[in-house]
Order: sequence, then structure tokens, then C-alpha cells
Amino acid sequence: MSRRDTDMTSNQGDGSTNQGSGGASSMLSRRKYLAGTTAAGITATFAGCMGGGDDGLTVGYALPFTGTYAFLGESIVNGFEMFLEQQGGEINGEEVNTVQLDTEADTDRGVDVTRELLVEESADAIVGPVSSAVAIAMMGIVEAESSAIWLNANAGDYRVTEEGCLDYHFRTSFNDWQTSAPLAEWVYDNVADNVCLAYADYAFGQNSKEFFGEAFEEAGGEIVEEVGIPLGTDNYSTYLGDIEDSGADAVYSFFAGDDAVNYVSDFNDFGLNEEMTQTGSGFLLSEDTLPAQGDAAEGMYSLLHYTTTQDTERNREFVDNYSEMYDHESANVYACQGYDSAQAFSAAVEETGGTDPDEMADTLAGLELDSPRGHFQFNPDTHEAIQDMHIREVVESDDEDFEVENEVIDTIEQVEGPDWGCSL
Amino acid sequence: MVEAIIRATLLGLQLGMTLALIAAGLTLIFGMLDVINFAHGALFMLGAYLGTVIAGQLGSFWLALLLAPLIVGVIGAAIEILSLRPLYGRNPLYHILLTFGIAIMIQGAILQIWGGQSRRISVPEILSGSVPIGPVNYPLYWLFVFAFSTVLIGLVWIGIERSNLGILMRASAHDTEMVNALGIDVSKVFTGVFVFGAVLAGVAGVLLSGTQSVHPGMGFNVIIEAFIIVVIGGLGSFRGAVYSALLIGLVSAYGALIAPTLTELFLFLLMAVVLMIKPSGLFGTTEAA
Repeated sequence: MSRRDTDMTSNQGDGSTNQGSGGASSMLSRRKYLAGTTAAGITATFAGCMGGGDDGLTVGYALPFTGTYAFLGESIVNGFEMFLEQQGGEINGEEVNTVQLDTEADTDRGVDVTRELLVEESADAIVGPVSSAVAIAMMGIVEAESSAIWLNANAGDYRVTEEGCLDYHFRTSFNDWQTSAPLAEWVYDNVADNVCLAYADYAFGQNSKEFFGEAFEEAGGEIVEEVGIPLGTDNYSTYLGDIEDSGADAVYSFFAGDDAVNYVSDFNDFGLNEEMTQTGSGFLLSEDTLPAQGDAAEGMYSLLHYTTTQDTERNREFVDNYSEMYDHESANVYACQGYDSAQAFSAAVEETGGTDPDEMADTLAGLELDSPRGHFQFNPDTHEAIQDMHIREVVESDDEDFEVENEVIDTIEQVEGPDWGCSL
Repeated sequence: MVEAIIRATLLGLQLGMTLALIAAGLTLIFGMLDVINFAHGALFMLGAYLGTVIAGQLGSFWLALLLAPLIVGVIGAAIEILSLRPLYGRNPLYHILLTFGIAIMIQGAILQIWGGQSRRISVPEILSGSVPIGPVNYPLYWLFVFAFSTVLIGLVWIGIERSNLGILMRASAHDTEMVNALGIDVSKVFTGVFVFGAVLAGVAGVLLSGTQSVHPGMGFNVIIEAFIIVVIGGLGSFRGAVYSALLIGLVSAYGALIAPTLTELFLFLLMAVVLMIKPSGLFGTTEAA
């Protein structure tokens, strides 16, 4: 089913002959149509002037919905749609249509999907991707089309800013510098003056360990050993030997998803937790891995921009709403990033009164958002998020559904990070 | 260095014996039924998920280790009777397409029911912690997995070689018509073999869910390794599958020690070399072992 089916006032005479190839309309827009909204028709005139050529607002999800990252893609969509639902499915009086296409976390597929969303679906905003490699591949088409803003809801590679530095790109998530470097000084002051770096050996893992390593040495610490481990490793026993032999007092790691689960469990199984303190980027120990890691993760430290247990009214409300809307599923950092992407899109449309991508980009640059993670602002020069970073410790959970949870023990306020030569 | 070698050897042996459980089923099913069962990895994954869920609900790892493989066996029976049986004797391509489709269906069902989040089984208290082996502290559970798999493989081996049932299985594979003529319902033997393979895969799934994360992609990951094992060992040979699984386990473990990024390449190279020198595999003959 194409979303066009739900869009009665759509102008099909503009050469757009999309048959909804692979595009799935969201439940939300279908329900909104059943409710019989005519507002879209009234605002259609304005949308037409902006060059969109279609009615209402269109958001394209370029996210993985199958494979390893499916859970992340779904969580981002859940967060985005929760915000839409809270707005009654409308932004600035216009109905919001969503189209989701599966990037399969593959670079070629990611580019195709983005092109389809921009050209055939005339999307006003692209939300995604999850994988950094896909984000880097997408930069060309987003710039060439210049027809939508790009709300980067998870791909944290700094090179999107260094190499792309795109006007339309906004990081509603984080970058790899933010989730690694700021932890270094804290580790040096509170944990150990020497560390071993153990990381998943691909771009994101390498960036993270580089950023952390630099900052740690700058703080006065020593890097004793570096252990790169292939992405998707199931058994860490061999590598844990190298980490143990390094004799370091602490380890800094970047692993995510299944790798994080396996690494942390093996670290504990082999008794390394008794000899050294594990620290890492927040993805090592987040809501998607902690249930599987269980008490093996207890006592480990990590750094992230969002934690479900953050004790603010804004966040508690977000977590409760999410759990209510999605069948008791726990909120997570990806959902927060999706939610904030929706907030950013909504703010851009409301402020500019339309969907002109250049105007939306101008509005978003420097804009501050009230997020479940706390206030954050798009850096006017780089469009990175300037945000608080939280240092968390894994502790036993009070909630009977979970064995362990993160507790925020320290906050580094409004972390900005380098500009990598980007000045928009 | 000594420590690294001890670790790698222990890991290799443990991996090898659990892989043998999976490969044994795969090779027996091929040897008896002439079916290349692409759904075998999915059955393994189903064992891991059911094990994790049962252990979580009932709070007992041991019950999970008993029940999950049995449920996988029942599902295996349904697959054999309802979908494979009508296709015996046809072009093997049908079996490949069918079992590949079943694998995708099982994966889809798992995503629908349990979502994409990774899980892990809680290891029983008695098996948690580590024990010293020479200079190395090795997790007790990993040793248990090795011991359990080895004993199970040993029992299966004796069963196939010595018991009447084993003889019947081998006879059915060797000359289906003759066994039929002797008044034995060969289709029951075939169902039994398929179910048996599924149960072994289920056991491997439960065992490994305590050493690595359980996720919807694990079925396809393991089927590739299992196929390499079966090809190297000789299609249809039980003995070959066991030796070759140990070989692959050790190569993976030592490979990680020497050149982590090339480990997978080693496996494929090994397979290519074996195929060039001995196309029927190390223990392959025209008959099942």
C-alpha cells in the first residue's frame, strides 16, 4: 500500500508516478486519514508554493528494519511517531505522512532508499540512518537534491561533519567524539591513570578509541595497550588474554549490540572484572544490551547523552508514555533520538511556516530543543548537538523487570566538541 | 604465550564439539534423507530462543536444556512430515528452496514474537565462576559446554555404530527399497532422523546461549560454518563431521590468535584445499558412515 492511497488531495499531475514501490505507509497516517482530516487540502496551496509538489508533510525514514540493526531502526521510528501522535498527527496544521524504507544497513541500498525518498516521495525530511557508513554514502545525494533537511538520528561518525559539512544535516543524536573523549578526563581523575583500549575494529570503534586515547594522554594518562577485535566476534576469550596481559588498571571499550553483550559477558566470565575496571562508550552498556548482560555489567562505567533513568520530570514522562504506547517496551536512547528528530522537524516547520529546506536549515541552526535527555542545541557552525553527557554506572535495578540499570553519577555539561573545519 | 595457547585450545575444543552437534544433524539428514537442510541453523536458533525464554520463565537452566530441544524436535517433525515428505525423490533444488524458505519463516517468526533485541541465558549458579587450568582462569560454564557436548556426541556415535536403531538408520540410507521390502516403514525412520538432528541442533542452541548472545541473525551465521564442516568432513559422514568440527573449532580459535581478521578466510581456504585434494571430503564415501 502506498501512502498515496491515503492522500486524497494529492496532485498526481506533477510527473510523480510513484507507485509506492516498497514504501510502507505508517499506521499513524492511515488512522489520521480515517479520522477524515481536510486540513491537508487547505494547506496544500502553501506546500505547492514551496516546491514540494505534494500535500501535507512527508517524512522519510531511511533506517534499517531488518538485520542486526532492526531494533535500532524500529526504536527511532517509535520515538518519532510517539511525538507525532502527541501532536495529533499534525504539525503546523498539516497532516504528516511517513514513508519507511529499509536501508538494510547497506551503503548502496542506503543511497537508493534516500534517492527514492527525496525524488519519488518528495520527502521534506529524511530521518536516519543508523549506520555511519550509510550516512557517509548518503551525503552526496542529500546535497545534490537539496530538497529536504536530514535529521541524523543515529549515525555518529564525525566525518559526516568533517567531509560533508552539509547545510541540511542536523545531528539529532551524537557524534563519536562526544561518546568517547569527554570520558577520558573523568576516568583519569576517578578510575585509573593507565588504560588498555579494546574496541570493535571498524571505523566507529577506531574513531572512538582514537578520541578517547588522545584525550586520556592529554589528561596525563598512559595508554598501555590497544586491542582491535573484528566486528561480529562471538568469543572474546583470546582477546581478553591480551587485555589481561596488558596489566592496565582500566579498560576503555567501544562495542555495540551483540558484540557489547558478548564482550561484557566474557569479560566477567573470565574474571577480568576482578582485576580491572571496565569503562566505555555508552553503547557498551545501554538499554538494548543490559537485559542480556545482566549482572556481568555491574560496576562498569560508560558515557552517553541519554539514559532512561535520568531523574527529570521531562524524562520520566517520556519513559512512561513510551512504555504505555509500545506495549511495556522500555524506552531507549534510539527512541529518544527519534523523538528529538520529530521535535526538530516540528520546530522547523512551525517556525518557517513551510517546508523550504534552506529556511528550515536556517531555523534549526542554533535552535534549542527541550529533550528527554535535557536541553540541547544545534551548533550553528557544525549542526552537531551541543548537549550534556552523562557518566553512568551499572547498578542493581529496583525495577523487578530488570536485573541491572544505569545510574547517572556525573554530568559533563553542554559538551561541544571540535568543529573539524566545518563552519556553516 | 603459553596462556594464550591454552585459552585458544580450550576455546577451539569447546567450539568444535558444539559445532559437531549442529553439523552431526546436518550430515545425518543429508546422508539418510538426501536433503540439504538449510533450516538447520534456524532450528539451532529456535533452540537458543526457547532455551532463553524457558530458563527466564521457569527459572531453571536444566529444564530449559531438557524442554527446548524437545520442542525443537516436535517442530522438526512437523517440518519433515508436512513439507519435506512430499518432495522426496525430486530434484534436490526443491529441498534447498523449501528449507531455505522455512529458515526465513522461522527467523521472521522469532522477530515477530521476541523482537530483535539480543538475549542471553542465565547460567546456573553451580556453573558460574571460573576455575584455574594451568595458568589460565577458565569459565566453568564453558568447560561444562565442552564436556556435555563431548559426552552427547560420544553417545550418538556409539548409538549409530552399535544399536539396532543405528543399524536400521544406516540400512535405510543404504538401500531404501530393501528395508521397505523387509517390512519396515522407512518414512518413520526418515522422520526420526530429521527429528533427531533437530533435537541436537536445539541442544547446541541452548548450550551456546550461555556463551554468546542470542539474536535473530545467529541461525544464518552458524549454518555457514556447519556447511563448511560437513563439506570438509564428507557429506553424510558422521565421523567426518565430528573430526572436521573439531578442526574448524581449533582453526577458528588459533586463527583469532594469529590473524583475527582472516579467521573466516582460513575456514574457506581450508574447505577449498580439501575439496581440491579430496573432493568427497576427508571421510566422504558414497555411503554414510
